[in-house]
Amino acid sequence: MIRKRARVSAEFNTSSMSDINFLLLIFFLVSTMFAVERGLPMALPGKGSRQVKLKRSTVFHIQAHANGTITTSDTGPIHLSEIKQLVENKLKINPKLVVVIETEPNADYGLMVHILDQLRLADAKRISLRTLNP
Amino acid sequence: MSDIIFLLLIFFMVTTIFKMEEGLPIVLPRAKSGTQQERERLVHIWADRFNRISINDKLVRIKDIHIIIARKLEDNRSLIVAFNVDHRAKYRLVSNIMEELKDANAVNVSFTSIYQEEGP
Repeated sequence: MIRKRARVSAEFNTSSMSDINFLLLIFFLVSTMFAVERGLPMALPGKGSRQVKLKRSTVFHIQAHANGTITTSDTGPIHLSEIKQLVENKLKINPKLVVVIETEPNADYGLMVHILDQLRLADAKRISLRTLNP
Repeated sequence: MSDIIFLLLIFFMVTTIFKMEEGLPIVLPRAKSGTQQERERLVHIWADRFNRISINDKLVRIKDIHIIIARKLEDNRSLIVAFNVDHRAKYRLVSNIMEELKDANAVNVSFTSIYQEEGP
């Protein structure tokens, strides 16, 4: 007797393929973080940069103190939320205004960033950083 | 259906970037005006409130910063130094790092922040 060879199907079972795909999809969905890096850009003076003399009237000083308070050369103590309006008003009068953030060495870095943030929101273009002598 | 899933899979596989650089455990300051920075131009300096400084996942001394940064600047003049500094760190630390950057002639910096919608 000659046995007929059993026909082997040329296809394989792909029903679990979509499960695997789905699993991988979920994995990458969850692990993806669209890397957005936000920052406040600043240009520092370089090594050979010259000191520029400015008129006293064009410079506006904001001091950040170690105890978390802020003062300005115009108003004395000021709240962080008032800075934007104040600087906006001053920029209307003098668009070339230079704002100097003077920070005490013992003040928190976060305070300086918050002030810088407010100045950027007020659209101040000429900002300078200075460290106060203790 | 499985075509769509496959397409999505490919998309997320390609766009996923696993976080390579850990740096230091810090809490970034919050800011509203932060703008997106070009990843290719960034070199990160990490600093926490215990005055530890880290570049490329290595703890560095403050004196060594200008050498490291100057070397990186040789490869790419348009580098931006990103300050990933804890918001509770003292400004003295940041000021000292900026002095080092001045020595290395690195003029472009960015203070990395987290976006915040509500008031400060």
